Amino acid sequence: MKDFPEDIIYSCEHIWVKVDGNMATIGITDYAQERLGDILSVEFIENDTYVERDETFGSIESVKEVVDLISPVSGTVVVINEDILEDVSIINRDPYDTGWLVVIEMDNLEQLEDLLAASNYHDFIAQEESE
Amino acid sequence: MAWRLLDFRRHNIFENMAIDEAVFRETIIHNTQPTLRFYASDPAAVTMGYFQDAREEINIEKCREAGIDIARRITGGRAVFHSHELTYSVTATRQEEIFPADIAGTYKIISQCIARGLNDLGINAGLAKEGRAPGRAVKACCFSTPLQNELLVNGRKICGSAQVRKRGGFLQHGLLLLDFNPVKTADVLLPRCSSEQVLQLEQSVTSVHKELAQAIDTREICARIKKSFIEELGIRLEEGALSPAEQKLKNELMEKYTDTDWNINRKKYFKVG
Repeated sequence: MKDFPEDIIYSCEHIWVKVDGNMATIGITDYAQERLGDILSVEFIENDTYVERDETFGSIESVKEVVDLISPVSGTVVVINEDILEDVSIINRDPYDTGWLVVIEMDNLEQLEDLLAASNYHDFIAQEESE
Repeated sequence: MAWRLLDFRRHNIFENMAIDEAVFRETIIHNTQPTLRFYASDPAAVTMGYFQDAREEINIEKCREAGIDIARRITGGRAVFHSHELTYSVTATRQEEIFPADIAGTYKIISQCIARGLNDLGINAGLAKEGRAPGRAVKACCFSTPLQNELLVNGRKICGSAQVRKRGGFLQHGLLLLDFNPVKTADVLLPRCSSEQVLQLEQSVTSVHKELAQAIDTREICARIKKSFIEELGIRLEEGALSPAEQKLKNELMEKYTDTDWNINRKKYFKVG
């Protein structure tokens, strides 16, 4: 059974967001890491770079596949998880905690309203898998 | 349902990579029909996966001496030597119901089409049931490690593929070996292989000409694979050309693909296109 913590919100691009004031900690969901399989590499745009919602903030590579990381919010990337740059397998092992990717300082909190609660994300996946 | 066909052409590797990326980007931006493309690279070239370190994977000096181009792909995977090859690419958006959202499912469908085309030529190609773990000895070479659903002939790999996904759309391209020279392949890749490792590569890889025990015209292979895509997927193929927008983007992307900073140093080109 895939894990869908309820204290975070989700995007249709399989990114989770944990909000603390105007800071958004961002990672990929358990579902996403499972679909990708063993993650081999990850890269991000540079720290202090502004990223628009729905723009790429990095890429992730599993065996033979490169996938864009799509930002669910607009803002400035203020922290990058250096630990995963050292050991990328953390993302597979612990996607919701130590496997977080970046922190974005948001400038439009209203965008959070477009993201999904855990139950809605669960339904979205079920629909996507049935198509 | 109609797909666009960009039929077999030879270009240098930079142009080939720029065309694949231009078609991919325009397809996902404008949600256009899927494209099946065939090409080969002239002169010979080595491509590496998006994340690979050129200096660790490719014998750059050897390539330069031999006039072999080096290019970085936007897809994943490992280094591939483009010489005596037929390369295919398939581009589609997330709207295409034929394709699932994961790499294994997409590989399976495309591999089935190519296997059917090879079967039609008399080659006993089938899909790998499970991936083989990469060995250290030949770690850089794409052909040393078949993935699940990649194409094998009697356990030997004949086609290596790689994929990139953006916005749910994907580009998958793969190289079908017409001939395979393990010594030359090992020569342009790193780490340098011992004769034992070259033998290992020889035993795990095959080619179209080897399986048929004769050379065959590349366009004949394309014709069989086109037919198999039509029959396997129930589609029509309409021969087309690059759109003006794709042509323009391709020309812009040539700056990236001829840039040593991209090919060797992986300078970031997030905003291109």
